[in-house]
Amino acid sequence: MADVKIGNLHKSYGTVEVLKDINLQVEDGAFVVLVGPSGCGKSTLLRSIAGLEPITSGAISIGGRNVSDLAPAQREIAMVFQSYALYPHMNVENNMAFGLKFAGVPKAEIADRVNEAARILQLEPLLKRRPRELSGGQRQRVAIGRAIVRHPKVFLFDEPLSNLDAALRINTRVEIARLHKLLKATIVYVTHDQVEAMTLADKIVVMNKGRVEQVGKPLELYYRPANLFVARFIGSPAMNTLAATLDGKGKAAAVAGVSLPLPAAVSGTGEITIGFRPEHCSIGKTGIPARVELVERLGETGYVHARTADGAALLVEVKGDPGLAQGAEVRVAPAAGHLHLFDGEGVRLAGT
Amino acid sequence: METASQGRVQQHGIVGMSPGAYARVLIFFLAPAVLVYTLFSVYPLLDTIISSFYSKQNDGSYVYNGVANFVTLLTDPTWSAPFWNAFINNIKFFLIHMLVQNPIGLLLAALLSLPVLRFRTAYRTLIFMPTMLSVVIIGFTWQLILSPLWGIAKMFLQAFGLGFLFGPWLGEESTALITISLISVWQFVGIPMILIYTALLAIPDELIDAATVDGLNQFQAFFHVKLPLIWPTIGLVSVLTFVNNFNAFDLIYAMKGALAGPNFSADIMGTLFYRVFFGNQLQLGDVSMGATIATMMFLIILCGVMIYLFLIQRRLQRYAF
Repeated sequence: MADVKIGNLHKSYGTVEVLKDINLQVEDGAFVVLVGPSGCGKSTLLRSIAGLEPITSGAISIGGRNVSDLAPAQREIAMVFQSYALYPHMNVENNMAFGLKFAGVPKAEIADRVNEAARILQLEPLLKRRPRELSGGQRQRVAIGRAIVRHPKVFLFDEPLSNLDAALRINTRVEIARLHKLLKATIVYVTHDQVEAMTLADKIVVMNKGRVEQVGKPLELYYRPANLFVARFIGSPAMNTLAATLDGKGKAAAVAGVSLPLPAAVSGTGEITIGFRPEHCSIGKTGIPARVELVERLGETGYVHARTADGAALLVEVKGDPGLAQGAEVRVAPAAGHLHLFDGEGVRLAGT
Repeated sequence: METASQGRVQQHGIVGMSPGAYARVLIFFLAPAVLVYTLFSVYPLLDTIISSFYSKQNDGSYVYNGVANFVTLLTDPTWSAPFWNAFINNIKFFLIHMLVQNPIGLLLAALLSLPVLRFRTAYRTLIFMPTMLSVVIIGFTWQLILSPLWGIAKMFLQAFGLGFLFGPWLGEESTALITISLISVWQFVGIPMILIYTALLAIPDELIDAATVDGLNQFQAFFHVKLPLIWPTIGLVSVLTFVNNFNAFDLIYAMKGALAGPNFSADIMGTLFYRVFFGNQLQLGDVSMGATIATMMFLIILCGVMIYLFLIQRRLQRYAF
């Protein structure tokens, strides 16, 4: 296993810049998830690490070795593709052994490695089957097996769960987490699903429009998003965000006609954005006035969709049945310590 | 078997439609295909086979004489010599297509599917263009190109100091068939190219990415991953080539006439059949012997296609991606 360092990486297709000054460090044995909306460049970054996409400038090093100009096979990586990309004309055993044969690994060792991977992934009964005779989950395991037999320094996963149904996705997610512990592998994993990102990652890299927005532990991103993009992207349902005005002293913010006290004094004045999560606010006697538009009752919890007088949408999570009707006038109060403040550019205000 | 809501078991047809109406729907959709196919394919074939069992008498009537026509064709030297000559030539004609046209088609398809290629559409159209031209135009044009008197081929070779290589290729017994075969290859190479190119496009890019990560270069990825996946298409191309070649007639007729000269050296089954059935110069048309040759052509093609279907196609696995 090894670490991965990416320094000042740029990539352009002609004049279109798809990756802008990416700097990233993946520690030895870490599980790093690249997450972001489609088109944010996360898959391109992964393919650049793999060597399947040439980079315009910058450096990628794996285990202290600069691999920027090396062919994919020389980078000691293994990749699991979204479509699994199993060779349709080979059985499971040959699918896993194929790359090793080309690398000139002795036959006995190939057999050992394939058997080991088959044991870890419970593929032994399937070794003689062709990919088309396998279910989606089994194909996924073969694709992972093909990566394991290479004994790579880094595993790269490109949205490996997106072709599976919901139940299988949860199982496979747990399976991948187990494999990470078992193999002590360095993993870079791309997904657009934040639940996968939150549950699997040691470290999440949130990307948007070819840039890294924030790097941090899952809960760090949840509790202290560095900017509005991360605040809105991480967490489901998404965070409420409202326009607000700071008072002169920086101790309160005016929102929709009411003054909300701030937990700590912040420097600066003027227009800001406040944010709070649906699970970190409540309906009560004080707070932001709003009118109820819709109530979703899920049993254990309920979601109240409301709108302020100036048209901003609010979502409040409540325990049980809120007992509110459409059109009811309510006040929404953010919980103390769970208020996020962002300046005019959407960057988190210093000191909060 | 579907159980209708009333508890009845309905084995055929569409729920809620009476058997009579269902039969009318079946006839409506099947009849056009059955009629056209029977009229223009099944009936002529059967009539040809039946004709081959009769022979014409001096009074003009036709009399059934069993397989005597086939025995004559295969044993009487005046019939068997031209027949075997045409058969062997036809095999040569087919082998040249298989060994030249299809590998070149495969190569062109592989080149066309290269990700870095520019002017892809232009190449594709230009290479496919001759296929769409009339055989008569192709034959005439190549006759002019290869003419020993004013042909551009001769001047072209001379311009490079290679004039000694030139020969009257269409006029010599040893080269006429090969030359015509290569002209046919030039005309039709676009068909295997397009079929194989389409098959190559259907192979997902991720599969080649996986092979790249596994350490294969482009060349190895082609031979070890792409080629095995397009064998079914190559098989199809081969059987199409076989059927087309054994039914071929037009190019040789256009370039060499029905006599397929010099000295029948370019004679294939199609031209032999034409001379026998319709007559040519001093040879009188003979419907019975013509039908016998046509039936032999049918049997040869049938054998070839059966070998493909039962021995080769079964071993080829088709893949869905």
